[in-house]
This record gives sequence, C-alpha cells and structure tokens, in this order.
Amino acid sequence: MSASNRHLRFGWWSLFAYLSLGLGLEVLHGFKLGWYLDVGNEMRRLMFTLAHAHGTLLALVNLAAGLTLRFVKDLVLPRYASFSLIAAGVLLPLGFLLGGIQIYGGDPGVGIVLVPIGGFFLLYGVGATARAVTRAKAD
Amino acid sequence: MFDLLTAFSRRRVPAGKSRRAAWLLAAGWAGWIVLALASAAEAPGPLPANRPVEQLTAGYVSSATCRSCHPGNYASWHASFHRTMTQPGAAPKFPESLDRLELTHDGRDYRVEHVGSAYQVRQRVHGGATTEYSAPQQIVLTTGSHHLQIFWLATGEGRTLVQFPFAYILAEKMWVPVIQTFMAPPEFKNIYTAGEWNAACINCHTTQGRGRFVSGNTFDSQAAEFGISCESCHAEGADHIAQNRNPLRRFALHLGDQRDPTIVNPARLKAQASTLACGQCHSIAAFKGMEEKIDLSQHGSKFRPGQTEMPQKFILQPTTDDHVAQKREILQRNPNYFSDRFWGDGMTRVTGREMNGVLASPCFKGGEFSCVSCHEMHPRAGDTAALAAWADGHQMTVSAESNTSCLQCHPKIAAILTAHTHHPAESAGSSCYNCHMPHTAFGLMGALRSHQVSSPSVRETLEYHRPNACNLCHLDKPLGWTAEKLTAWYGQPAPALSADDRELATGTRWLLQGDAGLRALTAWSMGWAPAQRASGRDWLYPYLFTSLDDPYAVVRFVSWKSLQSLPGLGDFKFTYTTEGAPLHSAVQAGYQNWWRTMRAPGATFPAGAGLLPDGHFQQDIFVRLLRARDQSPIFIVE
Repeated sequence: MSASNRHLRFGWWSLFAYLSLGLGLEVLHGFKLGWYLDVGNEMRRLMFTLAHAHGTLLALVNLAAGLTLRFVKDLVLPRYASFSLIAAGVLLPLGFLLGGIQIYGGDPGVGIVLVPIGGFFLLYGVGATARAVTRAKAD
Repeated sequence: MFDLLTAFSRRRVPAGKSRRAAWLLAAGWAGWIVLALASAAEAPGPLPANRPVEQLTAGYVSSATCRSCHPGNYASWHASFHRTMTQPGAAPKFPESLDRLELTHDGRDYRVEHVGSAYQVRQRVHGGATTEYSAPQQIVLTTGSHHLQIFWLATGEGRTLVQFPFAYILAEKMWVPVIQTFMAPPEFKNIYTAGEWNAACINCHTTQGRGRFVSGNTFDSQAAEFGISCESCHAEGADHIAQNRNPLRRFALHLGDQRDPTIVNPARLKAQASTLACGQCHSIAAFKGMEEKIDLSQHGSKFRPGQTEMPQKFILQPTTDDHVAQKREILQRNPNYFSDRFWGDGMTRVTGREMNGVLASPCFKGGEFSCVSCHEMHPRAGDTAALAAWADGHQMTVSAESNTSCLQCHPKIAAILTAHTHHPAESAGSSCYNCHMPHTAFGLMGALRSHQVSSPSVRETLEYHRPNACNLCHLDKPLGWTAEKLTAWYGQPAPALSADDRELATGTRWLLQGDAGLRALTAWSMGWAPAQRASGRDWLYPYLFTSLDDPYAVVRFVSWKSLQSLPGLGDFKFTYTTEGAPLHSAVQAGYQNWWRTMRAPGATFPAGAGLLPDGHFQQDIFVRLLRARDQSPIFIVE
C-alpha cells in the first residue's frame, strides 16, 4: 500500500472513530452523567474532550499528509515521518482517553504517559513532512 | 531525527525568509514571557483599612491554590456553609430588603442605605429628628448564611468591628434583633460589644485568624482566609504543594499505598486526632491561661489538625478533674457558665459544640468513633442539588441517614432490632438516633441531637430536668409510663415518682413547668413529625398557642414554627419578636381563631394532658404547673 493511501485510510477511520467519541461525549452530556460531568470529575471531562479534539485533528493531519503525498510533485516522505504521523494519531488521543478513565483528583491516570510520546512523534512527523515538502518544492 | 534537526541549517530556503521567521518566532516567545511575568507580578490592590483582611501567614496558601488539584473536594467545600462562615465586603448575597431598611431596637432607630456596592447604617435615638442620624457605618463583613445572616459594621477604630443589632432569618425572610435569635432572658437587649468579633469570633469563623489586639478597643485583625477553608482541617499546604509539583511523586502516591506525609487528612486519623480537627471549633473549650490567649490573638492558633491536644486551649468538661484552677476562675467570672452550656450531669445542651458530647460517649472510648463516623466533608455525589442537600442536612454520610452508622460497630443489634427497641422496625422508635442521640441540645433557634451517645432513662429527667428520649416522642405519656417500660424492657431500677410524674403528660409539664431551655425543646418536639405521630396532634394546639406568649423570644419562635406544622396552621402568621400587650393580643386572637374555626369537634385528648373533653385547660392543673415554673435565667449561646 502506498504511503498516501495508508495516511488516507488511517485518517478517515480515525476521523470516524473520534467523531463517534464526540457523539458519545454528547450523550454523556445529554444524560448528565456525574461520572463525566461532576465537578470532581472535571479532569476526566478534560481528558475525554482532549482525546476527541486531538483524535479528530490528527485524523485531519493524516488526511492532509495523504493528499499532500498525492498532489505535491516528487515528494518523498521519509518512512519514519509517515510512521510518526500515524503513531501520533494513535498515541496522543489514546493517552488522553486512557488518562481520563482512571483519574486522581486533579491528575489524570497513568495512560497520560502516552501523550508526550505521541507529542514527540507528532513534532517529528510534522517537521519531517515540512522539510520533505520544502525540499520537493526547492528541487 | 538528526535529519530533522540539521535540516534547517542547510539553508535550503532563502536566508531572508528564514531570518524573518526566526524573528517572528522569537518575538512570539518574548511576548508570552512578558505576559507571564506581568501577570505573576501583578500587584494586589490596597487592603481595606476598616475591617479584618486576608493575609497569608507562614505556610498557608488558601483554598484557591488547592482547587486545581482537588476540584471535587473544592466543590463540596464551596457548597458547604463552612465557606460562608465569614464573607467580606460585597461578597455575600445580601437580602433584598436590606436596602432602605428601617428598624428600631432597644431605644434606637437604624436606617440602612445602599451606597455604590456597599451598605451603610446610620442610627439615632428612637423617634429623633432625621438630622440626628449618626455618621454612617459601613457593613464590611457578614457571618452565617445557613440559618441566619449577621452583619458587622466598621467602627473606624482600626479593623475593629461592631455588630449590626439585627439578624436576617433566611427561611422566614425576617429581620429580628440578634439577641432574639439566642436563648436569652428577655431583659437582655444586646449580645456582642464592639471588638468581640475581632477578639473571639475570628478564631472559628476564619482560617488561621489572628485578632491582633493593638490598644484600647483597636484591633488589626487578619486571617489566612475568611470562612473555614481547606487548611483549617488539613493544616497549612505550602509544603504539600511544593513537594507535589513533581509529577513522579504524585503518581507514586496515586499508585502506591503510602499516605502523603505533607498533608493531614482527618478522615484517616485516629479517633482522638480526627475528632479534634473538628473539635478545635466544635467544642466548649477554654484558654489554658492569659499567655496562651494573647499568643493566639497575636499569632493565631498553634493547633494543627493531626495533633491530639490544643497547645493553647483545653476541652472544658465540667465533670472531669482536669484544669481545676482554670475552671474555678471561669466560674468566679460567670457562675452560670456551666449551667448555660451543660445539663447537670455534664451533657452538652448547646449546639455547635459537639466534641464535648463525643468525648463523653461510650462509643468514643472504643477508639474508633469520631465525627467522620457519621459526617463527611467531601461527599462523592457532585451535582449541585446533591451538594446543597448534603450541606443543608448537617453534612451527613449517606449511611448515617439510617441505622447503618451505628450497626457498623453493633452488628448484632440488626438481627434483633425489634426485640431491642420494642418498636416496629420501620418506625421512628427503631431509629438508633432517636433513642440514643435525642434532641436535647438547643441553638440556632432549634433543637439538635445530643452528640453524647447515651441510653434513655427517667433518672435524667428527674435529676437533671433533661427530656428523656422516650418522652420527646411520647409527649402525651407521663414519666411513670416511661419508667414502667424501661424497667420491663431493660431492667432499669424503678425510680421514686410523684403523683404528677405518674399522671400528667410530660409534654404538658415540661412546657408549663420547665425552664426556658426545656420549654424550647418541648415546643420544638411538638412540631417534630415522629412525636406528632406517637402523641397525637389535637392536644398540641392549645399548649403551643399558650407557649406563643412565653417570655423568651426564641421559645415563641419555636412554638410558632411547631404550630405551623399542625394541620390548618401552615400559613399562620405571627411576629415572635413582639412583646407586651401587642403580643398577648396576637396570641389571644390566634387561639380564638383556632377555637372557633379549626378545632376538631370530635377530638380526643390524652388522659394526662390537662385538657377537658371540650379542649379547655383543666385550670387547677394549668395554674399549678405554671406557678411552679422554673424561672432560672437561661442563656444558651451557640
């Protein structure tokens, strides 16, 4: 499978998953579930909201990466950069999601440890993609 | 990664563009840093000079700092009345009727004006000319907010306060003289003098309050935080916060079994220390000496939650043989000190001072029983309605609303509940609290449960004139009936009883014969649903109407509220603060209206109630009991 297709496929499925999560959060709002809405659980609410937002945004980033690969002439995206963008799309929202399931007052659960790892992959992936696009244009 | 880091050094983009981008990035970061520094260095506004102020003292950080890591606990505290024990300036929600309020008390007229965001009070001799109103005094502090709101005025002498002599009863939306919210003899017209808030109230109405007496009647009072906040119960939090900035430390604590030694959690303390965390305020305590009193005023309390003793004070129990010299001195200054606070056997009779009762309870001697056995400060239920109900309901744990709290330690009783209580399982007579923690304490215009767990006896009524639990429900029964039951069911020795003890309803006798404290508790019980179910209602009307004419204002208030609980009188209007002829007329009118329009024609009355079959008083009994009334002055200040 080409890198472009891989990003597009991941992006669309990821978008579907995290938009569904958004819908799930609306349901929690609708039924006013204390587990999600009580002020003592505001860290859980923040984590889930961040999981939804990051998952959706990173799905769009992957879609953008797939389309960029398709439309920028002679663009060669390093294998690790492609991997990093997808890894970030998994780790960042998953870290927030897991961090919100078990919370400790104002602290998220240990799942939050995935977030900085995902953040690192994202930075690397975006940086490397930017560089590749720049080089392609320059060449 | 190496490729990424070195990519930009290869200058594949034009040098000018790259430099511009770098400058933009640097400027952005510099802007953030300047903003952050500016907000950190933001100077607080000048402190008001006419009232006590919030000033953090060593180690204290305030509840605002605790909030970010403990949002749930912050929310439950915020919903509690501990937070609103003291509110400064315009912070509290003032009653709408405060604006342009005009009241008269003890020969003086008071007028309240709304100026800007503040309220100010002017006063004059009653009936004087408008030009005779004094210079305005600003309302600078509010205390209370659960049952009552009390307002404090700036005196102009440093940060010294004086009380606005009227309180606002929230449930009734009614302004009344503060003195008439206390159990106080009618000749008392005022209660607190200028400076008393600074000298005494500040200690338990703020967090780490310091009265800071200067000279004359001038105080320079400060508190770490107004109201009873996190650090009152958990001790100062600076070290806790400093150490827990480290996320690894926090997660080690979250995931491990170890307690955080940088903060105190009263719910995890042993009974003595846990109880004292609450009891530092909820007790009748006295200073160990003048040196300790001055030290507390200047530097604040040296007690910290977790300790098992207060360095500057001691819990004052009248029946123990400790602190003999201090107790003697207290009695020399006020011979009624103990009798205004304790029943004759040492049981507390005033509300808000529960630790004295807890300490004297047999349960406490077991080593595990403390305030948190029944109360919780941070309930799990977090929505606004649940928190409001919890705060209004004495901050009880969910299990404490049933027998569960007691059955934790007395599981065998559960299996034989009805055999033990001799009452149906679902009735009020099978509630542990009703028999072992009856409503024998008074304060805040109502009765509250005794916090000294005990068993009912006729002896407590005969010797100490304290209503026993049985007759607080069975108000229609004589003491003799109670004595028979307690002898038959629990083997209690049969006491020697008078003819009245054997024949007359305790409710009748207590309401006519008792001292003001006993009359208030009886009138309150007459409005208590379990007592009405057990004793019947018809006979209560005439007695409660009679009690509306009591010389003690607070007894009149309680009688009025109990009358409103009876069928037909839900909207019965009565101004309990009225005195003299207008009061007698109002009582007469109310009684006659009931007699003519509401009295049930076929009503039957208990045999010993002292009523004729038509509902009139048996005059010989009525007059005899009234003449024998205990006229001892009662002054109960919660």
